Amino acid sequence: MGIVNRTPDSFYRPAVTWDEAEAMDRVHQVIAAGADIVDVGGIPAAPGAEVDAAEEIRRTVGFISAIRAGYPEILISADTWRHETGRAACEAGADLLNDSWGGADPQLADVAAEFGAGLVCSHVGPQQPRTRPFRVAYADVMADVLDQVQRLARRALAAGVQRDRIVIDAAHDFGKNTWHSLEITRRLDEMTQTGYPVLVSLSNKDFVGETLNLPPEQRLPGTLAATAICAWHGARIFRVHQVAESRQVIDMVGAIRGERPPARAVRGLA
Amino acid sequence: MLTAAAVCPAPPLLARELTGADPVVPELRQACLDAATELVRSAPDVVAVVGAGEQTREFGPHVRLDLAAYAPALAHGGLHSRGLDRPSGVTGTDEPLPLSLGLGRMLLEQAGYGGALALHSVHDRASAADCAALGTHLAEAAARVALLVMADGSARRSLKAPGYLDERSAPFDAEVTGAIRDGDMPALLALDAGLARELMATGRPAWQALAGALSGPPPAVVIRYCDDPFGVAYLVASLSPQHDAVPTSGRERG
Repeated sequence: MGIVNRTPDSFYRPAVTWDEAEAMDRVHQVIAAGADIVDVGGIPAAPGAEVDAAEEIRRTVGFISAIRAGYPEILISADTWRHETGRAACEAGADLLNDSWGGADPQLADVAAEFGAGLVCSHVGPQQPRTRPFRVAYADVMADVLDQVQRLARRALAAGVQRDRIVIDAAHDFGKNTWHSLEITRRLDEMTQTGYPVLVSLSNKDFVGETLNLPPEQRLPGTLAATAICAWHGARIFRVHQVAESRQVIDMVGAIRGERPPARAVRGLA
Repeated sequence: MLTAAAVCPAPPLLARELTGADPVVPELRQACLDAATELVRSAPDVVAVVGAGEQTREFGPHVRLDLAAYAPALAHGGLHSRGLDRPSGVTGTDEPLPLSLGLGRMLLEQAGYGGALALHSVHDRASAADCAALGTHLAEAAARVALLVMADGSARRSLKAPGYLDERSAPFDAEVTGAIRDGDMPALLALDAGLARELMATGRPAWQALAGALSGPPPAVVIRYCDDPFGVAYLVASLSPQHDAVPTSGRERG
C-alpha cells in the first residue's frame, strides 16, 4: 500500500504531493515500484489546521476518480475516518476505507457495507482523531488492541461489511508510546491469529525515530526492520512511503517463511 | 503541622526506565530528587503525597506504580541484561497506584525515605474547596507532615505538545508559577478548573490541595526547575512554611 498524501502538512516530506500533478506522478511511481494498493489521504494525523469533510473531499475525491480512470485494476484506499468522505470516495471508485482512528465515526462501516468496500478496523486506545497520546497506559497493550479491533470488526459485520473485506490494524503510534508500539510489533502474531488480514502502518513513524534517535528522513532502515518483523508475524498489508524497499523486504521475508520461491536460485544447483 | 512542601511534575518520563538508553531529562530528575531530599530532611513523621487520579481516595502503602503499563518490555525482563536500571516500580498488583502518586513515591525512595506515607489521589472534577480541605486534612495527619505535590501544568504549550498549541497555556502556567514562587496560596485556589481541564493542566487539584495545606504566612520558596521541553509545563519547587512566632509546643497536635 503506497501512501499518496493530498495534504500540505504531513509529517513525512510535507507537501511533496500537494500539487495534483505531482500527486499523480507519485501514483505512477508507487504502482511501478510494486504497490498493489494506493492509499489517498487528505488529512494529516497530527493536530493542526481544521480540515472539514468538504475540504477533505475536495482534496481527495476528484483525485481518486483520476486514479480509477488511469488504473482500472489497482486497489484504491481512502484514508479517512469520516463517512461523508468515505461515501464520496466509494462513489469515485475507492475499494477500501482505511480508518486510522478506531471507528470514531460509526457510519463509516455502513458506507463500506453499502458499497461492498473493505474497512480497516484500527486501535487508537482512548484517543480522538487528530490528537496525540498523553501518558497513555495499558495493563496489556496487545490485549487492548485485540479487544478494540475485534469489537470494531463485529460492528462492521453487523453493519453488513463482508467478512473477507475486514482488515485489522494495531495502529502504531496512535494512542501509544514508543514502548507500546514496540510491544505490538513483537506480538503482532497475536493479531494475525485472529484470522483477519492485518495491516501495519510503520513507515518512518515516531516509534522508529525514538528507538533509533533519528529524524523522519533517516528512518527507512528502522522502518524496514519493523516491516520484516511484521511480515514474519504474518501481516498482509503494509502502508508505506518507500514502496520498492518495502516490497523487497516483504518478498524476502515471504521467501524465508516459505510462502514464495526465490526469484532465481542457481547457487550450488548447477 | 507542615514541615515542608515540594511541587514536582508527574510525567511518565520521570521514571528513568521509561526513556530508554537516553536519560532525556536528567536535570528535571535531579531537580525533583533535590526537592524530595529537602522534604525528607525536614524530619517528618509522615510524608503525604497528593496528585491527580481517577478518583479522590487514599491508597494503602503496598500499592505500587505499574511501569510496565507504559513500557511492556520492562515486564519481559529482557532489558535488564542490557545494563539498564532495574525497574523499581514494576509489580503485578491488580490495582496500580496512579501515575502521580507512583512517581512521588519513587522520588521519596530515591531520596532515601523509608518512613510512613500517606498517598492520596484527587479527581480533576474536585472543587477548589474540596481540594483545599483535603490539603488541610493531610497537613493535620501527624505532628510533623511533609507534603509532596505531584502536579503538571498545561500540555498544550506548543505545536508539538501532546495537546497541540493553545495560546492560553502560557499565561495560565505563568500564573501558577507566579503563585507558587510568591507563596500566594489564594491565587492557586482561584485557578479556573474548567480552563485547567481544557489546557490539559492535570495539576490543578493538587496545587489547590497545597494551598489548603499551607495556612499561615507565605512560605519561603525555591524554584528548582521551570521549563516545557516537550510542550508540557514542568515546575519543581521547594516550599518552607514560615510558622508564626509562637512556641512550637503550642502548635503541635498530639
